[in-house]
Amino acid sequence: MTNAAITGNPLRDPKKIARKYISIAIFAVIVLYIGKIIILDGTDWERLGSVEEVIKTVLFFVPDFAFFPETVVPLLETLLIAFWGTALAVILCLPIAYMAARNVTPFPWITYPLGRCLIVLSRSTHEIIFALIYISALGLGPLPGILALASRSLGFMAKTTSEAIENASPGPIEAMEALGANRFLVFFYGVMPQIFPIFVGNVIFQLDINIRRASILGLVGGGGIGLMFAQVMQNLQYDRAGTIVVGITSMVIIGEFISNRIRARLV
Amino acid sequence: MAVLEISQLKKVYPGGEAALKGVDVSVDAQEVVVLLGLSGSGKSTLLRCVNRLVEPDSGSIVLDGVDITALDKSALRQTRRSMGMIFQEFNLIDRLSVLENVLSGTLGTTSTLRGIFRAFHQEDIQRALGLCERVGIIDHIKKRADQLSGGQRQRVGIARALMQHPKILLVDEPTSALDPKIGREVMDLLTEVSRELKIPMLVSVHDIHLAKNYSDRIVGLQGGEKIFDQPTSSIEIEELDQIYHTAE
Repeated sequence: MTNAAITGNPLRDPKKIARKYISIAIFAVIVLYIGKIIILDGTDWERLGSVEEVIKTVLFFVPDFAFFPETVVPLLETLLIAFWGTALAVILCLPIAYMAARNVTPFPWITYPLGRCLIVLSRSTHEIIFALIYISALGLGPLPGILALASRSLGFMAKTTSEAIENASPGPIEAMEALGANRFLVFFYGVMPQIFPIFVGNVIFQLDINIRRASILGLVGGGGIGLMFAQVMQNLQYDRAGTIVVGITSMVIIGEFISNRIRARLV
Repeated sequence: MAVLEISQLKKVYPGGEAALKGVDVSVDAQEVVVLLGLSGSGKSTLLRCVNRLVEPDSGSIVLDGVDITALDKSALRQTRRSMGMIFQEFNLIDRLSVLENVLSGTLGTTSTLRGIFRAFHQEDIQRALGLCERVGIIDHIKKRADQLSGGQRQRVGIARALMQHPKILLVDEPTSALDPKIGREVMDLLTEVSRELKIPMLVSVHDIHLAKNYSDRIVGLQGGEKIFDQPTSSIEIEELDQIYHTAE
């Protein structure tokens, strides 16, 4: 028996289909028009020159591997900045996540908005801006870089962790409360084991990203390989710049490889 | 002599739903009292009021001479240590081992630092092993709690509650998440340990046959009110049937 009121395929409402394609078309026109303004009109095509000239310029960047040994120490420094920045964020994000999780926050009217504010502050500010602030306060060097990365990672980690806490099953928490454990142990036993896999995943993810972030901090004086990159670019030593790019890329690939191994083992 | 004396207990949830409308229940030493009722009858609320996982609005709950409703937070924590609770969904810590779950029963009396490093006292570990043996999970102590079957998980829950040296066991629908045969095994175990260790039990149940077979006294609840309260030996299955008939 068929329902007389429904004819054709109810999943294919012609009005809806028309609306969908019209919105796609409008969106495409807007994107193309903006592209024309900022790329076609906004580029100095005269200065770009011919295709051969472009290729010639790019070839300036062919790496000079004799320079490679000099990049090793700044690369390691970059790695350590990323590591310390992440470690600091891991420690600092836990109390913030605790405050910003609705189900465990100690004083909902004060600590919850405070935790959320800190998260928004951290997430809405770029690491370069954090770095500039810390550099003006502490001077040049790796320390402001580390603090900048920590400040930037903090928000993301506190946000994902507080969401994991909010999604934790209330059962074990209730059980720990029922047997008279103190507030800290209720959290440590009732919540922590539940959020552990998500937390570790996020720490590794942040470490990964922080290696990338750390490599540009030097551009503003935050230490690491970025500083060397800025110097060679100013001296127009494009082959050395090419070497540094290769170095950063290898470091990121190695970092990704290691973090995948850790993830597979821990989670 | 009554170990637990609940009188005129009332609870209205924030939504305006009256869960308990003035209920009296008492549990004597070494007595197994079943709270029998359908879902929504208030039996879970009543159990949770005893250790104040749910705050009652009025009435009194006296355990061993102490009025629980009058306690402040830290005194409440102290008193909760002497009440073992067993849950319908077991409420184990899935990623920890069975033995760690049993030992978590001592967290009320373990220092925070020892708790963090899972540095449990040697005598507690010995006692936990003894309890694992007693409830029949000694072969699984190193497994993660989420690797066990439902019946085994509830046994871990029982061992964890016994770890507390409880003065009373509060048992919330212990068999609802289990199939009937396993459920009866769990009820057998609960009533056995309750007798052996002389711990009175307050158990909520919605099955009249379980209630009849495993209790000394049955308290029938319906819509937040007590509709009967009799020794199990003097009550017929037909009388228990009342709980299935709505008041209106």
